[in-house]
Amino acid sequence: MAGISIEKLCKAFGPVVAVRDLDLEIAEGEFVSLLGPSGCGKTTTLRMLAGLDFPTSGSIRIGGRVVNDLPPGKRDIAMVFQSYALYPHMSVAENIAYPLRKRGVPRRERDAKVMEVARLLRLEALVDRKPRHLSGGQQQRVALGRALVREPQVFLLDEPLSNLDAKLRAHMRAELIELHRRIGKTMVYVTHDQLEAMTMSDRIAILHGGLLQQFGTPADVYERPANVFVADFIGTPSMSLFEGTLHRQGGQLEARIGSMVVPLPENHVTWSGGADGLAIRLGVRPEDVVLGDIGEPAVVKLVEPTGHENIVLLTLHGLVVTARLGADVRLRPDEAVHVGFRTAKLHIFDRDAGTRLNTDGPARVTAFRGLQSIGQR
Amino acid sequence: MRRRPGDKSIVATVATWTVVLATIFPLLWMAITSIKPQSELFRIPPAFLPESVTLEHYRTLLEDTPFLTYFGHSLVIATSTTLLVLVLGVLGAYSLVRFSYPGRERLALLVLFTYLLPSVVLVLPLYLMMVKVGVANTLFSLVIAYTTFSLPYALWLLRAFMAGTPEDLEWAALVDGASRLGAFVDIVLPQMLPGIISTAVFTFIVGWNEYFYALVLVNSDSARPLTTGVMNMLITSFNIEWSLLMAAAVMMSLPLIVIFVFLQSYLTRGFAASGIKG
Repeated sequence: MAGISIEKLCKAFGPVVAVRDLDLEIAEGEFVSLLGPSGCGKTTTLRMLAGLDFPTSGSIRIGGRVVNDLPPGKRDIAMVFQSYALYPHMSVAENIAYPLRKRGVPRRERDAKVMEVARLLRLEALVDRKPRHLSGGQQQRVALGRALVREPQVFLLDEPLSNLDAKLRAHMRAELIELHRRIGKTMVYVTHDQLEAMTMSDRIAILHGGLLQQFGTPADVYERPANVFVADFIGTPSMSLFEGTLHRQGGQLEARIGSMVVPLPENHVTWSGGADGLAIRLGVRPEDVVLGDIGEPAVVKLVEPTGHENIVLLTLHGLVVTARLGADVRLRPDEAVHVGFRTAKLHIFDRDAGTRLNTDGPARVTAFRGLQSIGQR
Repeated sequence: MRRRPGDKSIVATVATWTVVLATIFPLLWMAITSIKPQSELFRIPPAFLPESVTLEHYRTLLEDTPFLTYFGHSLVIATSTTLLVLVLGVLGAYSLVRFSYPGRERLALLVLFTYLLPSVVLVLPLYLMMVKVGVANTLFSLVIAYTTFSLPYALWLLRAFMAGTPEDLEWAALVDGASRLGAFVDIVLPQMLPGIISTAVFTFIVGWNEYFYALVLVNSDSARPLTTGVMNMLITSFNIEWSLLMAAAVMMSLPLIVIFVFLQSYLTRGFAASGIKG
């Protein structure tokens, strides 16, 4: 087993910089996801880890050894590709055995290991089939088998579930988590699907424009997003973000969003105050929007029932706010309601720098201005 | 009057068979003529089937003429050309698809442009070059000549196949511990097999049937291939040995027929792919 240490890693393709000054420390046995939108540099980073692309500058260590100049086959890594990259002319058994064959493992030992992996992944009945005769999920398992068979130090997975349908994806996600738990090897997983990253990872590295935005546990990136990009990117539906200013009025900290004034708990932000206020963006997660008998008047714009909950778009002082409400909350478009925010859960970002200003003290559920009690309708 | 559903298929079947028979008739006539006795060849009206069958023409051709020598030359020329074109074509296609360098696309177009040049334009410069380097009148000169006009087509056909081979497969092989050459041999080449076989058959046919370059570049029996050899031997200003000519034509066709029969499925896949991806 081995950890991965990435220092000041850069990769440029001509004038385009794909990865910029990336620093990551991945511990032994950790499951880390590289998450971000298309073109954020996550696959380029993975390819550099694999040795399929070479860094423009910076260093990569696997198990303490600098691997920058090592070819892929000498890095003791295995990779599962988005397309699975199964060799079409080889049977399942030959596919799984290929890495062993390339390392000169004797035939008898090779066959035994192939069968062991096939058993582990429930592929015994399929070993003589060609990849084209397998379903998507089976192909995915063969790709995993080929990665597992030679017991590498590190597994690299490049969006391995993206070609599967939703149901199979959920199933394979659980299988991957179970597999990681069982073998305990370091895994680096590239995905643009935040659900995969949130459910599977020990830690998530969020990339945007080649820059690392945040590296933390799923709870960290969701509850304490480091900047506006992470706040907006993580969470479905997205966090509602409003531009406004931060003030300290008679000792009371408050955010002014248009005509709305949102009182904030004391010590909610690191900003110590100033006469002119501070330009901010205020973020509120859909589950932190609550309906009450009193509060700010709002109008229901759209209701999206998902079965177990309702996603409701509300117009509040001319702003659109997304709320996550229980399935039993029945609302109709154009219905007038009163809403409030769980103020201790509000996220405050510097408007210009985009960085997080919250002090992140213990979470408290506090009433919105004027509300005495907050209850789900 | 209502047409029955079978009418359409009957018309299609008759039309297809007409085309097939029209295509196959010269070949049948060739084969039948080659086993007719000399006395039956010029009978009027002609008879389709022979009254008696003879293999005398084949015996004469094989024992009393240098047919087998020419056959050997053709075999060497066509096989060598095929191997040379395949090696250069596969490596060239790999380079054109997998590596990025300035002018790559232009180079590919330039290659196609050379294919569009009429061969008559190239034959004299080629002949002069062969004389200059001292290889005129050799089998080697024909191998080089045939390679020059087979290679562009081969490159384009193989390029389409190479482009259709996902790069991920090669990356996966590298991660699995293969060298670049190992990944190429183990993974890329098997994927290109239909393209390689199509190219090989096409090139072999060119090398086997070519007449014009052979006529210009070779004028001695030591390097004469079947096409010019048979013409030289059996067609003179005064006489055409039709029976021997037909027997020779049958034997010349045999290798190609054998190749087609065995590689038919690969060929169909190969030409279909080149049409779609090229």
